[in-house]
Amino acid sequence: MKRFSWDEMMNRYPAFFAIILLVVALTINFILQPNMFARDTLNSNMRVFLPIILLSVGQAIVILGGGIDISVGGIVSIVNTILATQVGLNGSPEKMWTFVFVSIGAGILAGAINGFFIAFLRLQPIITTYATSFLYVGFALFILPNPGGGIPAEIANVYRNTTPLGLPLAFYVIGVVLLVWMYIRSTRYGNYLYAVGGNAEAAYETAVPVTWVLFSTYVASGFMSALAGIAITMLSGSGNAEIGVPMTLTSITAVVIGGTALSGGVGGVAGPVVGAITLGIIQNIISFSRIDTWWETFVKASIIVVALAAPGIINLLRRKKV
Amino acid sequence: MSGVSLSARNIVKRYGGVVALSDGNLDVHSGEVVALIGANGSGKSTMSKVINGVVVLDGGQLLLDGKPVRFSSPQAARKMGIATVFQELSLVSKMTVADNIWLTREPLKPNGMVDRKAMREKTEALLDLFSGTFKADLKPDTLVSALHPDEKQIVEILKAVSLNPRILILDEATASLDSRQVERLFELVKRWKEEGKAIVFVSHRMEEIFRIADRYSVLRNGKTVGEGHIKDITEKELIQLMTEKEKVFQFKKASVEEESSGLQQPVYLEIENLTTETLRGIDITVKQGELLGIGGLQGQGQRDLLLALFGDIPYQGTVRIKGEVVKFKHPRQAMKKKLALVPGDRAKEGLLYIRSILENFLLPSWQKYGFPLKMKHARRDALAVSERLSLVMSGLMAPVSSLSGGNAQKVVIGKWLLRDPDCYLLDDPTKGVDVHTKAEFYTLLTELSQQGKSILFYSSDDDELVGLCDRVIVLHDGKICAELKGASLTKENLIAASMGVSNGGEA
Repeated sequence: MKRFSWDEMMNRYPAFFAIILLVVALTINFILQPNMFARDTLNSNMRVFLPIILLSVGQAIVILGGGIDISVGGIVSIVNTILATQVGLNGSPEKMWTFVFVSIGAGILAGAINGFFIAFLRLQPIITTYATSFLYVGFALFILPNPGGGIPAEIANVYRNTTPLGLPLAFYVIGVVLLVWMYIRSTRYGNYLYAVGGNAEAAYETAVPVTWVLFSTYVASGFMSALAGIAITMLSGSGNAEIGVPMTLTSITAVVIGGTALSGGVGGVAGPVVGAITLGIIQNIISFSRIDTWWETFVKASIIVVALAAPGIINLLRRKKV
Repeated sequence: MSGVSLSARNIVKRYGGVVALSDGNLDVHSGEVVALIGANGSGKSTMSKVINGVVVLDGGQLLLDGKPVRFSSPQAARKMGIATVFQELSLVSKMTVADNIWLTREPLKPNGMVDRKAMREKTEALLDLFSGTFKADLKPDTLVSALHPDEKQIVEILKAVSLNPRILILDEATASLDSRQVERLFELVKRWKEEGKAIVFVSHRMEEIFRIADRYSVLRNGKTVGEGHIKDITEKELIQLMTEKEKVFQFKKASVEEESSGLQQPVYLEIENLTTETLRGIDITVKQGELLGIGGLQGQGQRDLLLALFGDIPYQGTVRIKGEVVKFKHPRQAMKKKLALVPGDRAKEGLLYIRSILENFLLPSWQKYGFPLKMKHARRDALAVSERLSLVMSGLMAPVSSLSGGNAQKVVIGKWLLRDPDCYLLDDPTKGVDVHTKAEFYTLLTELSQQGKSILFYSSDDDELVGLCDRVIVLHDGKICAELKGASLTKENLIAASMGVSNGGEA
């Protein structure tokens, strides 16, 4: 029997596939845009990627626990509209800080609502978060019916143009997120997360607090969505209740590319971060090579379909052999 | 370790209307191994689930060290020092061996991180208990998904042992171990006994019971019918204890004189060396009009045998129907050859629960009714079958979910009757069926076999097999371990053969 299987490979190095894809995408992008590693280009790319990266980290935690969160985009929209309407184009930095904390609270609350339905009432994650996604986008539209509002340009520029030691701010944020994740991963909670995602029933029989672990993943996702919402608001400087909607599919794709199985319990967070960067670069390539933008959606959707179908196809081939 | 004692007194446990335990008793003390013994459905697995808190008892008393206790969950029992090695494993396959064993009890460093090094060392120490009986690549860091069944079972045992329990329940823990591993487990059990642990040993292997147990407790029909020291009893006496004296049913065999004439019937089905994941080479010949019983403890490959014949799972070996070699890859092909399967789980596999009785009856036969469907004709046929089965229903359009268990099972059989198959494969069809309907089934089966239909009938109810069948094959561990017919077809022999006792089988 072959012990070193694909399974084991993906379990040990979940980001393996993502890194290969990243290198390929980087090469193509570099050919199309030779100055891409210049400080300004790098920074302008990374600040665009960061919201999706943060969102993917939250999504990855939910998916690791065996669920999925379709409402992340809705939470991003809520945060964006709160900041754009409450801080305003002439708001002070103090006001910005206040509403950053309000936004984070809103994100956690939205995640807790998802978690309550899914963990305590045992509802289907995909249906629940699909339903709450409308609730959240609807709430964002209630706050800000038409695109407008915003935050002061000085504050937005802090996000856009800060490059400590010549490196984009995004690198530092990613570094902190990964460090925090590595710590969480190596605590007892980290083990619970993988156990619940891998086999919730066995975890329950072994006295893992399954309900609370599930609940916590959605709260974490709500928190990360709020951070993503803050980042994208500082990037755009303006408000739009629909801003988060297309980000949901991207975050799920990033997780899948990153080697985190949609069935839960396998993978990590570093892979999805690499996956999110890769998707951003693919988007760059598409815009540089002047092909229609619908290709971008097509590529993302294809990746998900292939990732979902792969285990089934492998099984089918095995059956044929017998 | 101080002494420990657990007694279960007059335990009652019901599942819905079915009484699994009516008067279960068990006493176990420090430094002894008690074997919990019983035939299929005698309640021994329920008994072990009561002790370890997986099910909540309906009546009776549990005394731990003389004090009454109630366990609301397995965790509660675990806290009191009771650990179970489950037969159905409770492992997370995508996690490592060490992660699985220490889940929820990981050694922590002062900063809150799991101390992987300490965990690995503790796991090594546990694995050493079984060293030499498994392949070298079973390491603390191996993923459970990469392990063989026996190695998984060892991890499951170590997981329970790592709790350092006062009472250890081994529920069929030897089922997937090889002889060397069983040997080692028994050495360990002896050591644990000396350390003062109390051990409950649930097994269906007689030979193991006599080797390891100090005392026994026999369950029959949910009642404890005998307890005592193993040295005071013989295998034969144990089997007699497990066997019921009084019978509930009067079975009508397919009349005795036909049994002899049955020998002249042409052969319908020949199976040679049938092998699947659980079956290890089965040879059977079934004649036309024969009602062949399949017995044995649950999960010895009976289900696989029926599914393989129906083309539902892949297999190796040769199957001939009326002399013609067939190899079904899909149930559709089996149906074309006039086979029918009544699956073991009628709610999941046998019926479309929320759809109407009519639709369920006609599901395998829609082709017969053309395009567009001749609904009047179809309805007439369905009605005829429901009358033949004396189905109790509010109407053909009522959903199957509105029927009782027995009537629902009638629909499963009825849908095949409409196709008039030559051969029926029945997977424990009377499970969860009321007494009255059971009797109707027996009449139906006898009728069908008189019409020349061949029937392969697996049942977990030994009385049924003995009372109804001409011949019973007993499966053990994926092989036929005995064939009983005529005078040798008694319940005692059947149970003895199921338990792997060699002298019981031959006529």
